[in-house]
Amino acid sequence: MTTALSTTAAKAPQAGVDLLRIVRINEEIKSVVNVAFKINIMALNAIFLAKRAGVAARGFGVLSNELRVFSQDLRDCMSSLTSLVHGCVNDVSLMLQDIRHTRLLRHAAEMTNGTRMAEVLARRERENERHAASLASQRKQLKRALEDAFRMVELGGVLAKSAKIEAAYGQSFAVPLSQVSSEFDGIVEEIRASLESLRHSAFFAGR
Amino acid sequence: MKTTKTIFQDGDHKWIAIVRDPEKPNYLIDTNEYLVAHGGQGLLLDPGGAEVFPAVFSALSSEFDPSALAGIFASHQDPDICSSLALWLEFNPGMRCYVSWLWSSFIPHFGGNADTFVSLPDEGADISLNGLPLQAVPAHYLHSSGNFNLYDKTAKVLFSGDIGAALLPPGEDGLFVENFDRHIRHAEGFHRRWMGSNEAKRRWCERVAQMEIDMLCPQHGAIYQGADVQRFINWFDGLQVGVVNG
Repeated sequence: MTTALSTTAAKAPQAGVDLLRIVRINEEIKSVVNVAFKINIMALNAIFLAKRAGVAARGFGVLSNELRVFSQDLRDCMSSLTSLVHGCVNDVSLMLQDIRHTRLLRHAAEMTNGTRMAEVLARRERENERHAASLASQRKQLKRALEDAFRMVELGGVLAKSAKIEAAYGQSFAVPLSQVSSEFDGIVEEIRASLESLRHSAFFAGR
Repeated sequence: MKTTKTIFQDGDHKWIAIVRDPEKPNYLIDTNEYLVAHGGQGLLLDPGGAEVFPAVFSALSSEFDPSALAGIFASHQDPDICSSLALWLEFNPGMRCYVSWLWSSFIPHFGGNADTFVSLPDEGADISLNGLPLQAVPAHYLHSSGNFNLYDKTAKVLFSGDIGAALLPPGEDGLFVENFDRHIRHAEGFHRRWMGSNEAKRRWCERVAQMEIDMLCPQHGAIYQGADVQRFINWFDGLQVGVVNG
């Protein structure tokens, strides 16, 4: 096997593993979207609870509203991530196809003589490089978008913790408000952990 | 590597069979590819699956300049017929692919774009290969619901796709049928199971019985020539198809 053939053959399992990693990232994003929707419902209930609690829970009400906005922003952010994931799936699929075509063309070239096949192979290699560069770019964009999402969730964590403090001023409503704010905190922490694991996905260690 | 055999030649008008690859893994069905060449141009009939592309390409290259291929004729849509399409197009992006209208939006999954495909209507069509008249002959439901044979009236050769196909055991895989009765046993199961319509079969038999055919060239197995062509048509006419055992 020539060096070039070995390189092409070695890329195949890597692309397959990349596809698997992308699928896992996508599954994690889907779970974050579900949780973000839960925050929205919880925040709506918290706003009603704060209204019933009156002046003592005014700060809690403001924070609940902010958490609702956070939930929507998070879902928008996840939607952008999903688009980038789809872009990655597309590029990895093209690379898998490139690998197969290159293998078969190289095999044909080895069995025949002629400069025309060399030209076809050179063109195929250029196309392979173009797809690889596109995947590298998508990978970077996805990494950046995940970092942005992570920062957003850290802000959500601050909001949830502030809500916990505000709950303490809720007088007779302090217990239910505290319970709701703890749930907020738990959920935001769950999202933070998900995004933290995504940031360290081996997919981003690739080229 | 596959071998090539010129089965018809009159000047630069040729039929070349590309057959039998001893290195082909057993899990891939064996296929015959055919090249019709005329006036320096070529039409490749059922170019085969992607995995056999290197063997077909190299064999073809030994006889013909692949950059002079004007087109591909796909009898139907199966992967062993034309899943190599994208690879042939890498070599010659301007190549056209003639296929039943039924599959013209399915086969692009193997490769090609809107400019690649020439849709053949159900009633068939004439195809000119650098002035050589060829005819796409309807053979629908035998086995594919959108299925064509290719007839070269000048050479009296009919490329019959899966009709006439036989799954030949080692040692009985000559290029031409030598003993019809022995050969046809290897074709019977295939035709009963793969061919879906007795009515379509009868119409095909009636149609091709009126054509002058010296060689009937299937995509699998051996080529029928001379009196074996009519023997095959009669045998097929009497066979009940669309049968599943068990």
